[in-house]
Amino acid sequence: MDLLTGLFTTAFLAGGVLALAALGEVLAERVGVVNLGVEGLMAMGALTAIATVAAVPSPSIGFLAALAVGALFGMVFAFATVILRANQVLCGLALTLMGSGLASTIGRAYSGMPARAVFPGVEVPILSTLPVLGKAFFSQNILVYLIYIILPVGLSILMFRTRHGLNLRAVGENPAAADAAGIPVTLIRFAYVTAGSALAAGAGAYLTLTFVPSWSDGVVAGRGWIAVALVIFAGYRPIPAVLSGLLFGFITALGFVGQARGWPVAPAFLSMLPYLGTVAFIIVPVLAFQRMRRIMAAPAALGLPYYRDVR
Amino acid sequence: MATFRFQRIPSASSGVAFAARAAAILLALAVAGLILAATGADPLDLGWQVISASFSSSFGLEDLALLVTPLILTGLSVAVAQQIGAWNIGAEGQFYAGAFGAAVVGLFVPGPPAFILPAMFAAGLLGGALWILIPTLARAYANVNELITTLLLNFVAILLVFYVSTSVWRDRTANSATPRMSAEIPEFWGSVHWGLPIAVLVAVAVGLCLAFSRWGYEVRLVGSNPSAAKYAGIPVRRHLIAVMLLSGAIAGLAGMLEVAGTVHRLQGGISNNYGYLGIMVAVLARSSAIGVIFSAALMAFILNSGIILQTQGLTTSAVLAITGLILFLTAIGDELAHYRITRDKA
Repeated sequence: MDLLTGLFTTAFLAGGVLALAALGEVLAERVGVVNLGVEGLMAMGALTAIATVAAVPSPSIGFLAALAVGALFGMVFAFATVILRANQVLCGLALTLMGSGLASTIGRAYSGMPARAVFPGVEVPILSTLPVLGKAFFSQNILVYLIYIILPVGLSILMFRTRHGLNLRAVGENPAAADAAGIPVTLIRFAYVTAGSALAAGAGAYLTLTFVPSWSDGVVAGRGWIAVALVIFAGYRPIPAVLSGLLFGFITALGFVGQARGWPVAPAFLSMLPYLGTVAFIIVPVLAFQRMRRIMAAPAALGLPYYRDVR
Repeated sequence: MATFRFQRIPSASSGVAFAARAAAILLALAVAGLILAATGADPLDLGWQVISASFSSSFGLEDLALLVTPLILTGLSVAVAQQIGAWNIGAEGQFYAGAFGAAVVGLFVPGPPAFILPAMFAAGLLGGALWILIPTLARAYANVNELITTLLLNFVAILLVFYVSTSVWRDRTANSATPRMSAEIPEFWGSVHWGLPIAVLVAVAVGLCLAFSRWGYEVRLVGSNPSAAKYAGIPVRRHLIAVMLLSGAIAGLAGMLEVAGTVHRLQGGISNNYGYLGIMVAVLARSSAIGVIFSAALMAFILNSGIILQTQGLTTSAVLAITGLILFLTAIGDELAHYRITRDKA
């Protein structure tokens, strides 16, 4: 495989993790809830997937099991933050600590275990014969198509082209007004936080069922936090979120290619690239494009619990 | 007939918040005990082992004291930033940066300990402050969320320390650590070094400054209502920068004390998650600088229990999970503490 094809293949594969987790976070943040538990949810999802395929060698069942575990944790988080209205930052950090801690505690039994079943590549007829993209994109596993095409387009239409989408954005911008208009604020928040958490755990499962494909302690390695940052960078929109995931896939791929080709840079420094890149990418656009701020702004009620009876 | 209803009040009573914390800790430990029981262990027996190992010998108490020292400082680091309304989730990275700075001096600068130790002290403070500099400036001048930027830099610091201690500065005899540094913080009780009194003193000094100085008053005002503070002519941005740099420097100091007092080498994983546990310490203390000393002691006991139970198959990641559960329950308790039950006569 030549350099360019290899770079693109790894970029699409690596970017999928971040893109899926970022999509989940877009769902939660659009209805006004910051979910900082992504890192922990991904760890639980990654472990669930490995443990499930160890018992039942079917990647689809592993992925679905991870989604279910993510939804379960998401409901616990949503119960605390949406229904009891506890502090979202604290609950999110707590979820990250619980998820990561629990996953590495249970995961000791699976340490170094490769996934017993992984998602195979699917070659799309005709398109897979394209020069670079054919190998890099149109021969990937089925989740890649789900993450890069179906989910972002579907969510984008749902959010910006339907009445329900208008409602859910209203819940994130001004829950009091949404409530007055008869939109079920608590229900919508609960549902989207749960769905977002399921996608985050799905991102973890993607990690261990396609990209890495094995379990080791700390396999998530901060990707959940990068995903949270990407949502800001993407202006809380599904398609830009997926594209920025891909961008970071490239940065990761660059590090891999560098290591494989023996570039005179220590691997540790190449591994730093995604983190430093994320910091740069959430600071630089704010400084460079002052006018972008309004378009890219966070939902107005982001992070604020909604009290119907307290003004 | 009288009916009861819940009414939300703007500020929680501190008594209820304290009770909520106690309940959260007990509940989390009970859950942990139940899980242990489900795996076939006897939680009461394990609990007794932990208590006797921690308190029945001076070694146990020394271990606790060595864990308290960094936890006071990382907790203080998070708490100080909270006072001005900033989330420093990067105490872990600043800890590594402080340890790195101290190691640069300790490994490469020749001289008597009386000169080297203060230089390491300064390098630790500087390392921590430098590590939070970019998130600080980004928050102060571009309003970029400091929570995520400080956190992401943790991974960079961890990779940096891992790299230098396993390759360029590696000790030929040790596998993954630098050579032992000759300058050491003297010990005053068994293996407990002067870092502990220093950490307590720093916490008390910061607490007094926040409570009684004009600067502290202004910082707290910015934390509780930034726009009111700005309207009152308080230099919000200057205070924010100063407090965040102070927060980073305190976490860096924790790293320096760990290197110069406890470990004497720089190595990967030197922080034991102290930075993340510091978040818990600060939350339990309700961001009070003095309260941090007590909640750090509690956290040290929980961490130490995890270390003692490692022989029973428990890991420090299990401690992290239990910590997360305590944090989760505390967050819920804090919100519930805002409610009072009123009774209307109808």
